Amino acid sequence: MDKDAEILRQALERLPAPEPRPEFIDRAFAAAARQAAPSRSRLAHLVSRWETWVGVVVGAAAAAALMLLVWPPLLSREARGITLALNEMRDIDVLIDSERALDGATIHILATGSVVLDGFENEREIDWQTHLAQGSNVLSLPVVARSTGAGQLVAVIEHGGRTRRVTINLMVRDRAATRT
Amino acid sequence: MEIMVLQKRARSSHANAAAEFDHLLREHVPALYRSAYRWTGTVDRAEDLVQELLVRLYPKLDELRGLDRIRPWALRVMYRIFVDQLRRERSSPVQFNTDPPDDGNEEEAQDLIDPSAGPAELLEQELTQDRVLTAWERLGEEHRVVLSMHDIEDYSLPELAQIMDVPVGTLKSRLHRARAKLKGLLATERISTVDRV
Repeated sequence: MDKDAEILRQALERLPAPEPRPEFIDRAFAAAARQAAPSRSRLAHLVSRWETWVGVVVGAAAAAALMLLVWPPLLSREARGITLALNEMRDIDVLIDSERALDGATIHILATGSVVLDGFENEREIDWQTHLAQGSNVLSLPVVARSTGAGQLVAVIEHGGRTRRVTINLMVRDRAATRT
Repeated sequence: MEIMVLQKRARSSHANAAAEFDHLLREHVPALYRSAYRWTGTVDRAEDLVQELLVRLYPKLDELRGLDRIRPWALRVMYRIFVDQLRRERSSPVQFNTDPPDDGNEEEAQDLIDPSAGPAELLEQELTQDRVLTAWERLGEEHRVVLSMHDIEDYSLPELAQIMDVPVGTLKSRLHRARAKLKGLLATERISTVDRV
């Protein structure tokens, strides 16, 4: 570096550069997290593996899954209830079975009342779109019992203007009551 | 039948991911912001650039976790965003008030330098902060970027070659042109100051 360049460099080093406003930093981090499409991004790896779809069944992992057959029109099904102990986490299986490939199917999971999805405590609803091909798959959703009382896990699948909705009732009891 | 189970990482809460992202990036934001300010010249545009950077990086949390040096990596991403923004602005009917790109116009830069300019034209005591700032603001953004990262933030040419994705030889040429342009602007600004007196 010649003398002029060095003089320039020293002059540039003395140039003031403001610090970011603290409120900007907080706002920027919040906006980045908010815009990250959380539901989709976290489930994307899972969704990308879903290749088929025909109906939906929600059931306890330990229980036999209830399978709905091929896409009857606008049918809602309610599976039997499941009892959980307070703070228990249990995998709830969602079976998706399709007789044909479906592009752009929307899957909507809603956890209400006393239960939340583990890892998604601050989000009661999770939506994503995916391509589903012919065949059957099980999605194991980890449900956590956060409070005593009733809760529901609802799965809604939409495609081509048609909707399938499956509801599973959950009851959370405290551990003492569960033992008796 | 295929059975899919949510992986442990996928189960980590949104709040946890946001906290981890914050923990990894927050300490680097002031330096990145200062770079953005030097490149763009305004608080608003610097904030926009850093904001866009964080939005782009958030989905790359897994990648961030594995990095030894986050800042140069983030700077590289920010540089690409900045270049894309400049391209969009220049193809837009609405233009920012900045110098046109003159990266390849070394002759013009040389023309701006007083032929008699030597060490006497860059007397250190004459390079007041106001003069340098005025010249800096008139400098094109491409020149500001290379001078900012090399001369102010002390990134080496090989590091800059990675950040800007150009050969070292090209960088040397850009750096030379940027210094010549700045020197020319300082000389011009000094002459106009003398004229006004």
